[in-house]
Amino acid sequence: MKRNDVAQAVAAAAPDYVVITSLGSAGRAWRECGGTNPVYHCSDPMGAAPAFALGAALARPDLEFLLLEGDGDLTMNLGALLTVAGAAPGNLRVVVFANGRYETGGGQPLGAADRADLAGLAAAGGWAWTGTVRRGAPAADLAAAVGALLAAPAPALLVACVDAEPAPYGGPGPHSGDEARTLFRHRLREWLEKGTR
Amino acid sequence: MSDKVRAAQITARLRAGGAEIAASLPDSWLSALIDAVTDTPEITHVRVTREDDGVAVCAGASLMGRRAVLVCQNAGLLLSANVLAGYAHHHRIPLVVIAADRGGPEDGFYYQAYKGRVTPGVLTALELPWHRVGDARDDWLFERAFEQAAMHRSPVVLLCSRAALTGESL
Repeated sequence: MKRNDVAQAVAAAAPDYVVITSLGSAGRAWRECGGTNPVYHCSDPMGAAPAFALGAALARPDLEFLLLEGDGDLTMNLGALLTVAGAAPGNLRVVVFANGRYETGGGQPLGAADRADLAGLAAAGGWAWTGTVRRGAPAADLAAAVGALLAAPAPALLVACVDAEPAPYGGPGPHSGDEARTLFRHRLREWLEKGTR
Repeated sequence: MSDKVRAAQITARLRAGGAEIAASLPDSWLSALIDAVTDTPEITHVRVTREDDGVAVCAGASLMGRRAVLVCQNAGLLLSANVLAGYAHHHRIPLVVIAADRGGPEDGFYYQAYKGRVTPGVLTALELPWHRVGDARDDWLFERAFEQAAMHRSPVVLLCSRAALTGESL
């Protein structure tokens, strides 16, 4: 299962969600294969994406939010699982792109990557729903898992175990973080006004 | 003045400034304020496990158009240097931090002293707008800091004395 497979499955199933991505290959996959959802790439700082998405979700309980998270970002700050569980946002769902390594940084393995169960940690921390799609699962299983995530009570977290793939730096891109923030807010307003969600 | 009365005064200023989201991690000087924020129905309060998570909660809320405040000890500012700098200089997202300014002359603990010595220098190095809140005469800052944050597109930090937070006269 490639990371772009996950992005495509999410895009197909969740057109009505505001998307937030962490740094690294999860954001890269959405840029390459994502939908037309309003999206905010909250890289950097690393490790802050779950709490950032939580703040967004609490600020707009009338909207549904989907965080596309890397396992490296999540592993940097596992305490965020408890922060989210404690706040119990009913409109925040998370897909963790789990390849067990720091993809963009050079492919170094995460701590305990060969034995940690990220979905299990979230479940033990009090998340309302968690699930895992194993590496190599057929496309139908991925689609079903994404569907289950979106149908589940939130906060909900799906770990999608993806293949290791090269993720070279692609240059700075056209927009600074500041410009991206402005563009996101324009896009969100347009999306809401036009009722395209 | 009791710390509960003082906390109510600060919370009223936060509400006047437009605060709708708050995140917190406790400090003994902040207990009454955190309780008051929790009991304010207009403010959604999040208990975080690290202060940098609190900064991120506030940043996410701010992105979606809400004014947000983190309540923590100054040690949390030291911990949060990276996220504060990232939201100040990269994303340029406004938020307010109310920090107990531990380690000053009114604070008789060895383990707090270093925080008081290094925090102002760290905030200055991060190029964050920051202000000292010494007592109730500075209360306008609890309200106006949100406007300054919005104008600067940046976190704004209020370093608050024991008297400012608890109402104790030393």
